[in-house]
Parts: sequence; structure tokens; C-alpha cells
Amino acid sequence: MARILIVEDEIQINDLMMKNLRLVGHECTQLYDGAEAALRAQTEHFDLILLDVMLPGLSGFDVIGELRGTKTPVIFVTAKNALPDRLKGLQLGADDYIVKPFEILELVQRVDTVLRRAGGPRRSFSFDDVTVDFDSRRVTKGGKEVEMTPKEYDLLEALIINRNLALSREQLIYLVWSRDFDGENRTVDTHVRRLRKKLGLEDRLKTVFKTGYRLEV
Amino acid sequence: MRRRFWLRTYLVTLLLFLVCLYAGLFSLAFFTYGRSVENTENACLAEERYLARSFERDLFDMEEAENGTSPKLLMQSYAQNYEKQRVSLAFFEEDREVFSSFAATPALPENGTISQIKEDGERWILISGEIGEGRYRLLYGRYAGDLDAEFTSLMLTYAAVASGVSLFLAVFLLFLLKRLSLPLEKLRVTTERIAAGDMTVAAEEKGKDEFAALGKSFNQMVEKVRAQMEELADDAERKQALVDNMAHEMRTPLTSIRGFAEYIEKAAVPEEERRDAALRIVSETDRLKRISEKLLDTAFLRENKIEKETVDLAALLGDTVRRLSPLAGEHKTALRVLPGAGSAQGDPTLLSMLLYNLTENAIKACRPGGEVVLFADENRVSVSDNGKGMTKEQLAHVTEPFYRTDKSRSRAEGGAGLGLALCRQIVLSHGAELTFDSQPERGTTVTVVFPEQEGQP
Repeated sequence: MARILIVEDEIQINDLMMKNLRLVGHECTQLYDGAEAALRAQTEHFDLILLDVMLPGLSGFDVIGELRGTKTPVIFVTAKNALPDRLKGLQLGADDYIVKPFEILELVQRVDTVLRRAGGPRRSFSFDDVTVDFDSRRVTKGGKEVEMTPKEYDLLEALIINRNLALSREQLIYLVWSRDFDGENRTVDTHVRRLRKKLGLEDRLKTVFKTGYRLEV
Repeated sequence: MRRRFWLRTYLVTLLLFLVCLYAGLFSLAFFTYGRSVENTENACLAEERYLARSFERDLFDMEEAENGTSPKLLMQSYAQNYEKQRVSLAFFEEDREVFSSFAATPALPENGTISQIKEDGERWILISGEIGEGRYRLLYGRYAGDLDAEFTSLMLTYAAVASGVSLFLAVFLLFLLKRLSLPLEKLRVTTERIAAGDMTVAAEEKGKDEFAALGKSFNQMVEKVRAQMEELADDAERKQALVDNMAHEMRTPLTSIRGFAEYIEKAAVPEEERRDAALRIVSETDRLKRISEKLLDTAFLRENKIEKETVDLAALLGDTVRRLSPLAGEHKTALRVLPGAGSAQGDPTLLSMLLYNLTENAIKACRPGGEVVLFADENRVSVSDNGKGMTKEQLAHVTEPFYRTDKSRSRAEGGAGLGLALCRQIVLSHGAELTFDSQPERGTTVTVVFPEQEGQP
């Protein structure tokens, strides 16, 4: 869906971010050095940059200084939860920050939020004969519009954003309903059943043992 | 409370002075009065003797002449003569009063003695004497009230003088003590500021008196305390930096481990991908293990005494080269020992660890085709490479735990950034010296100099 540049000198963490973002449909470029990242980001177009702070060559703070002209959104990935670091990053124009160690869901969600805020190209998602338009919140199957309640649509969108990743019922409640939703996990099950029925997702929207649900596309 | 000493000194000194002053002055007054009374009495005695003799002669002449003049009339003329001098006379014949110029004749005192009486609040000096073989008696009385008046006026004068002097002294002493205690007060203010945490102030050291000496000692003490505090703060800062670094070093593999575990749990990926993630978890766990082992080594060295024996340095280098040859081969780096001989007192295991670490670093600093040379001479060993070298700034941090001159490179090599910190600890525990000589792009030479042994030059 989006072209993302990952700048992180720790190979394992770089790979970790790349693998997860690729799973949910992003195209990733991996770099391990600040100076190289500054150069590439100025000559090539990216929709988003994930930038580590402590980098060889140029530090993340220096890199973002170099990128001031490009307007590419930046999310800092920092090992320190210290407020001064976070503030400095945001002051320098970063759009968000992620503190290591992070959860996959958090990474995916923040990336999606920043991309959405930055606008960009028309956003929709299609699989099989189903098409979901994120802007108009309309869903069609085989060219025919499918009627959905707002919560059903929100659930479908959350599953699409985190596709190929299993989401627990608690996470889905957090994403779709609200953090102070006091209903039961069965509410999620009911909605998932309805989605499966309406869109014929029995093979795509799977129940993951002990975890929750996963949309596999 | 805080000025009690000053005030006490002032009051005690003042009181002591006043007691002495008044005691002295009043003793002097009484002494003067006593002398003055004595003088008057003596004068009275002499006058009475003279008067008695004169009267006796006149009485005798009168009896010879038989001109009818009575002793009473004679006495009366005498009394008139002496009235101006405030002397009263009385004349007795056979204990019978013949004449008296006293207002009220007092009782006759014993013959030939001086006595004083008080009559209606007036003091009189009385003397009685015999005339004519005891037939007649003369009573001489002199008014002594003027002596009392004189004494009173003397006392008043003295009191006035004493009050003036006291007042002057009280004021003078106040200023004197204030001035004398000024350095003490300044020192108190300084102490208070230091107590409030301001370590930049200093006490006055001017002059040669005890206060200057006190100020000097005080400043030395403050300086010592300040140095100690700074040392403690530095120490705390170093420890904090170590903890911060450690937290960061642990957090990186932890992030990977957690992330890949979550990936296995959640991601819809083929079996191959899952196995790959599992392998990454294993390798990151190993990395954590290495970090914790090196930290334990460093802590162990810091807290334990080592057992020393004589170690052949040339043999040590040979052993190191043997163990690191495979790594040097992988890096396409030549590894050789220059001929030389030396020995040092130390723990062979630790020294082997030291040389291994230094040589491993040298190999990793080299580019393919580079060379690492080991050399032992008397009490020193050196490891030289012609690799990428270090800048001055990097050199300054090189033995700090977790420091890496090149993050990405040594991470890829699997280093934890603890190697040189460990080396430094080993060197310190042997009382040896570790020096780095390095130039960017030219290479680095690390030298360890062991303390000279007894019996050797």
C-alpha cells in the first residue's frame, strides 16, 4: 500500500519491522546507516520513514534535519522512553515515535495513522471479489454494495489494516469499540460471524487458536 | 541564641570592670575620709593641750594676783575666742560644772581620750583634760559635721566620675567586642551559606591572627568536602551512564526476541518464515547471554583479588595467535608474533583473556589484507594493527563499558562493547598500564606495561 523506508542499524529489529509491515501490504526499503538514509530519502520518494535515533553515520535527529524539504512523514524509533528525546524528535518535525520494545500491533497502527493523516493516494483494498473503499466506507462484493453497520465496517477495516496478523478479541475491542467498552468478548465473535456471512469470508477470516482472528489475504 | 557568646562576654567584662571601678573608688573615699578624721583629731588634741596649758597658766596668774577674776569669766573669754572655729568649751571644778559654752554639755569622757558623739545629728569630737593636778577639768569639743559634708561631696564626685567612666566603657566595649567578633560573624554567615549548599563561598584569610588561621583551615575543609562531593557525583554519573548503556544494550535484543516471538504467534506465514524467526530468537538470546557473562566477568574482576604467578609473555602471545588464527583467516588478516621475550606477574587465565580480547579487536579493525603484529619485551606486550584506527574522541571513550567506535560493524561481529572495558579491568587488577596509540586510517597499537618486578632492572 505504501512505500516505507526503514532506517535502523540493528539488523534484527530492521528485519522485524520490515517483515511485519510487508505482511500488512507495505513495500519496504531497509537501510542501516544515517548518512545513506539522508541521501536516499532526498533522491527517492517514500510515503513514510521509520527512523532510529542512534545511528552510525548520522544520528536520527541529524537525518530529519536533512529531510526538512521533502515533507515525508517520519516516525522515530527510539530505545529511550525519556521525555526529552521524544520532545526533541517531535520538535524536529517527526510525526510520531515508537519506543523499543514495541508491539507489532502498535507499529502497524501508528504507521497506518501517520499515513492516513498525511493523505496521499486514494485508499481502498480489494481481495477476491470484495472491494473496501476506506474514504467512503463502502463495501462491494461482486460489484454489488453490501449493507453494513458502522461497527461491522470498523471491524473489517481493522482486520484489513492488520491483515495476516492475528488480533486478539481484546485488541479488536480496543480498535473497533472503545477502550472503555464493557461488553463481552462474545460481541466480537458475533460481529465476526456476521462479516463472514455477508462477505463469504469463511476461508479468509480465520479463527486463530488461543489468540483471536486473522484476515489472511 | 546565636549571639549568646558575644553578649555574655560583654556583660561579664562590663560587670567585672564596674565592680573593680566602684570598689576602688569607694575604698579610696573611705580611706581619705579616715585620714581626714584622724588629722582633725590630732589637730584637736594639739589645740586642746595648748589651750589647757594656756588656761592653767592664766588660772595660776589669776590666783597670784587675786584680782577677783573668776575662772568662769576667764573660761568665758576663751570660749568667745574659739566660738568662731566652732569649738565649744566646758570647765569643771571638783566635777562640778563651772562654765559651759555647749548647747547641752555632754557627759564627761574619760580623762585624756578622744571620743566622738552625735548630738542632734551633729558630730562632735570631744577631748577632756585635767588642769591643776586634777582639781579642774577642761572639756574641749569641736564640731565635726563639716567632715561628713566633705565626705558626702567626695562620694558624689566619685560617683559622678565612675558613672561617666562606666558609660564610656560600656559603649567602648560594645564596639570593641563587636569588632573583635566580626570575623566570627562572617565565618558564621559563610558556614550558613555552605550549609545551604553553596560550595563556592570562602572564608576570609586576611591577617595573621587566629581568625585568619581558622578561615584558612575552614577553606581547606570546604575544598576537601567539595572535591569529595564532585568525585561522588562523577562516580554516580559514570554508574548511571553504565546502567543506561546496559539498559539500552539489553533492550535491543529483548526487542528482537519479543518481536519475533509475537511474529511467530500472529503472522500468517509459511513454516520456513517461522523457523527463521525462531532462529533469530535463539541468536538474540545468545547475545544477551554474552552480555551478561562479560558483565559478570567485569564485576568479578572488580571485587576479587587475583592470584599471581610468573607468566612467560612470549608463550602467552604464541598461545593467543594459535587460538585466533581461524578468525584471522576468516578476515584474511595476517597474524604474527615478533621475536622477543618477557615475563610478568599475573593470573595466566586473565592475561590470556586480555591478549585474546586485544588481538580479536585488532583483527576486527583490519580490512582484508591487513596485518596484526604481537610483540613481547621485558615487562610489556603490544598488539599493533594497520586497520581503520580511531580518532582522539573515540580513544577517550574506548574503555567505557558498551562503547563502540563503529556501532553497526561491531554489532555485526557480535561484540557487546564490553571487550575493552574488561581488558581495562584486567590491566587495573594487575597494577599494569594500558595505553592506546592510534591514528585514523593508519592503525592502532595497544600496549600493556606491567609493573617492574623485584630483582629486575
